[in-house]
Amino acid sequence: MHGRVKVKSTAQQEEEKRKEREKKLKAFVSARDAVLRKRSAGEHDEEALQLTQQLLSSNPDFATLWNYRREVLLQLETSREKDEVQKLYESELHFIEACLKVNPKSYGCWHHRSWVNTRLPQPDWTRELGLCDRCLSLDERNFHCWDYRRVVVKESGVSVEQELQFTDRLIGSNFSNYSSWHYRSTLLPQLHPQPAPDSIHSHRVCEEQLLKEYELAHNAFFTDPNDQSAWFYYRWLLGREEMISCVYVSRERERVSVAFSKPVHSEGLMLVLDGQPQQVEWRSTHPRLRHSPVWLCDLPPGSVSDISNEHNLTVHWTEKYTHRDCALYTGCAESWCRDSATDQELFRSELSVEKSSVLQAELQSCNQLLELEPQNKWCLLTIILLMRALDPLGHEKETLAHFQTLKEVDPMRSSYYSDLCSKFLIENTILKMEYAEVRVFSLSNKNLTTLCHLDQLLLVTHINLSSNQLLRLPPQFAMLQCLEVLEADDNAIESLEGLYHLPKLEEVSLRNNRILFLSDLESLASCTKLTRLDLRGNPVHKTANIDSELSQLLPLVTALSL
Amino acid sequence: MGTQVKDVVIKPEAPNTLLLDKHADYIAAYGSKKDDYEYTLSEYLRMSGIYWGLTVMDLMGQLSRMNREEIIEFIKSCQHDCGGISASTGHDPHLLYTLSAVQILSLYDSINVIDVDKVVDYVKGLQQEDGSFAGDKWGEIDTRFSFCAVATLALLGKLDVINMDKAVGFVLSCMNFDGGFGCRPGSESHAGQIYCCTGFLSITGQLHQVNADLLGWWLCERQLPSGGLNGRPEKLPDVCYSWWVLASLKIIGRIHWIDKAKLRSFILACQDEETGGFADRPGDMVDPFHTLFGVAGLSLLGDEQIKPVNPVFCMPEDVLQRIGLQPDLLN
Repeated sequence: MHGRVKVKSTAQQEEEKRKEREKKLKAFVSARDAVLRKRSAGEHDEEALQLTQQLLSSNPDFATLWNYRREVLLQLETSREKDEVQKLYESELHFIEACLKVNPKSYGCWHHRSWVNTRLPQPDWTRELGLCDRCLSLDERNFHCWDYRRVVVKESGVSVEQELQFTDRLIGSNFSNYSSWHYRSTLLPQLHPQPAPDSIHSHRVCEEQLLKEYELAHNAFFTDPNDQSAWFYYRWLLGREEMISCVYVSRERERVSVAFSKPVHSEGLMLVLDGQPQQVEWRSTHPRLRHSPVWLCDLPPGSVSDISNEHNLTVHWTEKYTHRDCALYTGCAESWCRDSATDQELFRSELSVEKSSVLQAELQSCNQLLELEPQNKWCLLTIILLMRALDPLGHEKETLAHFQTLKEVDPMRSSYYSDLCSKFLIENTILKMEYAEVRVFSLSNKNLTTLCHLDQLLLVTHINLSSNQLLRLPPQFAMLQCLEVLEADDNAIESLEGLYHLPKLEEVSLRNNRILFLSDLESLASCTKLTRLDLRGNPVHKTANIDSELSQLLPLVTALSL
Repeated sequence: MGTQVKDVVIKPEAPNTLLLDKHADYIAAYGSKKDDYEYTLSEYLRMSGIYWGLTVMDLMGQLSRMNREEIIEFIKSCQHDCGGISASTGHDPHLLYTLSAVQILSLYDSINVIDVDKVVDYVKGLQQEDGSFAGDKWGEIDTRFSFCAVATLALLGKLDVINMDKAVGFVLSCMNFDGGFGCRPGSESHAGQIYCCTGFLSITGQLHQVNADLLGWWLCERQLPSGGLNGRPEKLPDVCYSWWVLASLKIIGRIHWIDKAKLRSFILACQDEETGGFADRPGDMVDPFHTLFGVAGLSLLGDEQIKPVNPVFCMPEDVLQRIGLQPDLLN
């Protein structure tokens, strides 16, 4: 079905081809019918093996025939001695190898081979490893063979070091080696595991090995700057996981908000107030977010409302045996406790690396490469990632310039680069907010195409997103539980889903956007403190009776501009 | 020095308009030449072949041209005692064809012509200790089968019979350094497997476990200068990846990271103006498989001449709405 070129031919050639295929077809149909007849008759004999052999050699995807063959072999096993069974299955391996020569990518062949090894009294794993070597030397990207190799390695106890050396050889000699780099990524954590939280996604590698890997990848893309596999692998090397949290308490609303750095489920969230576990119900900020980075709960009425009392709260997350304390002081209407983004190196290239001197050297090398290959997008992107790992704020200007170049040299992926650039700008603004110790988030006129890290904005009171290219305020926007003022003029916003139950929101400006339907404004009714709303320059003003409709929908809004 | 990018070059005379009527004629005629060479040799996947043909016809609004009664009788004859369904009469049951059969019967709103409870038992019985699913009793494990299992059960409204936590755990253990997924733990990322795993995670409500930015980047890097998509790095583009890659991007909310116009021209170039149908790449032989995925890809790209297609199930959205199945997608 793949790679069959349509060839134009003469009428005579067509006729010859047709006759040939008719002959082949007849032979196939007759053999197939014979086999299926035998099977229906319950015959499990040598003839069955012969017939299936004939068919499977050129039709290895005819799965039922492999099944029948297995039934026959199992039957024959029962009447043979161990050494005969050994011979029986060794000859089966021979047959499978012949099939693989014709079709090295047949799921049926490879699975049958694995099955045969489970029946062999004495499997020969050295021989199997040799088969894998030969097969991979013909096609280093054959994932069937790699998967089979992983089984062979496991069964025969080949060491991780040996397999790493195998990938070394392949990477050194071949350009199309993504499969080898991938294999490496799975071998390294086995070789030098770092003590890490129990996580499925933990790709931890100890530092010494990490530096060796940088060198390996670096050498690969310096030898061939278009070897994308090495660049993909390098990006992985620059990465790690992050976990932060913030706890926020409001005395007035008698509410606790908790923010994690990734979506979690509320199961396992526990609240302790002044040493007493509390029976509370956790909810996410928007019904569409069943797994959310931010969770809310209401405290028992009257438990913290007296401002002359001091309280101590602890939020436990039993899934990771972690907790965070927050003290609500006398005279304070609110309180919070969070890991600072700066302390946690939160945004260092989506992850972090300890040895900044190594990264500095890498950045220099990549800049040299860029001089030789100014259009190389892999190099440009990697430079951006390195700069972020080293000093996201210091390199901001350069980063923006590189993104511009990236969009020019790789226009098919402009949307990706715009979104990634938006993400990095948002990260930088969060860092700047922290350094200035303010709760105002301002990112206007920056070509923002997407919003992210909204879970980091739990404490923000004022946000300015005007003059960008945003299309929506997504459900995650509802995590801005402290927001009082929103400015988002001059965007392309159609959806306000995320303006949902924002308890402190008083003022919203959405001039010159694309809000079209009255129903798009419905969620605003849940923001009960909203009094000022500017909707000038939105197509919704054309709706019939819009003034009266809006005063019905949003009776609490006193200053409405249309 | 330096590798050349593996890609195709689209000739200027390649088709650039959508020839929907020709494709409908091609599919309508396909099964009728029962002595056709390719047709007979592909009997081992017949149930899937029928699903491909019917789905693309429905997407083009031409389902009525297919022989409903004959197909339903055929499916009935393919259900075995164990509950599983085979690709064709005389062949053995398998999860792949069980899913295809259930998809076909869903299109025809005739699920009850087969023994549904037995199908559910068959699927449930294939789940292993580690949460994975075998394709059949012979034990091949692959995340494709995890997808087949949950998609089948979801269409039958019976997702609750399996061990969901373990099933999810197994699929997540197949997540790789690049954010993608392979057949088994440790297997290399591949667009087909990624479609199955993101589809699986959508059906099971676990999409938040995907690193959408990282995987989205890997997926958008499948687009080659010709505009076509490949299935993994350094491979040639193929129209079926317009489905596997594009649907995955849609599921994780990153479809805008692809150059839609360039992909559309690639897909259109894969049409055969003479015979109708789509081939894997321009100039090759057509088949129903690539015809479905070419048309489905165009639907995902927003072509209004084609019905909206559901990115998880690869079935018309209106069918899924009728069943009441709207799996979550990331925004």
